[in-house]
Amino acid sequence: MTCDELRPDYVLYAMGVLEDPEKTELRAHLDRGCETCVAGIREAREFSSSVGASADGPEPSRQLRNRVLAVAGTVSQPNWHWRTAWQAAAVVALLAIGVIVYQNQETTAAIAEARQQLKQSNLEAASLRSALALLQTPETREVTFGQGAPAPPRGRIFFNPASILLIASNLPAPPAGKAYEMWIIRGGRPTPAGLFASTAQGTALHVYTPTDFVLATDTVAVTLEIAAGVDAPTSTPVIAVQL
Amino acid sequence: MLPLILAILTKGDGDLLVRLQRRDPQALAELYDRYGRMVFGLILRMVQDRGTAEDLVQETFLRVWNRVGGFDAEHGAVGPWLLAVARNRAIDYLRYRGRRPEAALELNESENPALFADLKSDPLRFDTVRQVKTALEKLPAPQREAIELAYFEGMSQTEIAERLRQPLGTVKSWMRRALLQMREELGGGVPA
Repeated sequence: MTCDELRPDYVLYAMGVLEDPEKTELRAHLDRGCETCVAGIREAREFSSSVGASADGPEPSRQLRNRVLAVAGTVSQPNWHWRTAWQAAAVVALLAIGVIVYQNQETTAAIAEARQQLKQSNLEAASLRSALALLQTPETREVTFGQGAPAPPRGRIFFNPASILLIASNLPAPPAGKAYEMWIIRGGRPTPAGLFASTAQGTALHVYTPTDFVLATDTVAVTLEIAAGVDAPTSTPVIAVQL
Repeated sequence: MLPLILAILTKGDGDLLVRLQRRDPQALAELYDRYGRMVFGLILRMVQDRGTAEDLVQETFLRVWNRVGGFDAEHGAVGPWLLAVARNRAIDYLRYRGRRPEAALELNESENPALFADLKSDPLRFDTVRQVKTALEKLPAPQREAIELAYFEGMSQTEIAERLRQPLGTVKSWMRRALLQMREELGGGVPA
């Protein structure tokens, strides 16, 4: 049989359900290194994986994570949902503030710091909620950037008609007085799309919800600017991704 | 918390694979956090019972943990491999439960780690998976059912023909047309 005759069977072979005589014929092609069939089977395997991943369903129980780790002889850890974790973090921070006030043993500065941490936690929680909402939207698409370069900022941009989500790693924390500013560029004209900072570990998450249609955007870029932000980029982009 | 979440979202599988091969317990936790829900969703879709699905998820991760040493950490795609292992565990269970013969299927071969090296694209990408799901949903019911019986129940075309009480030639024709339609829908990416 020729490669063209076998092509419709690639997916069934990748799924492990192809029968003879086609299976034997196809295996003979693969055994002799037939480039057409090897490439076709690779493509079919990718498709098959996508079919498997499309079977979404409910969350597994929280105990399952512990069971998986325990069987492998590893230490079990609680599987916190993000929302729960942030709620717990907020409660802990509030309790900390309450204890500080009640005992009157800490300084006003410590209280202010705790409040600041709580505010920061709430901002991060809001940012994560926006990110999750965007990821759950059917129209959301995804672009990867920075793959293959020696030590670049790298990550992914998720976007839909209403929002853009940037997730990056290898992005150094900005120096004091500086922040990263995201830009959406349409027809060569940049528009400010919000300020953000990366963590000490070099990771960053930024969600931007413009007032108009995201899909008119050609490019998303990030520059390092003064902490207050600027109206137009003043430095070379550290990230520039075509959508 | 945020740095941990971002680290999980932004790190590639290569680093995770290296740490799994070093028997780093935290790597297994990360693997579960990254793919556990996807694996559970697939198995539950196949076996239709939560308790059984959780048992099979546990078995899947144990199998991967014990066999990850043979995986090419530089070029391998652990997510697709994990799904292949999960699917095979579920098909084994379905065959056992339904007293179906093992048949001459290539299930064990289909989870060989070497088959998951050098994939050209990431088949588990958010938008790729969604497009495939949409394309599946657009298929006429008999064609979709035939594809789903092949993937989600591991049935050969002969078994599908028996299940659907259709001639084998009809089933083959349905599946060929289904794959062609999906190829058109997805703009390539489906050999047909």
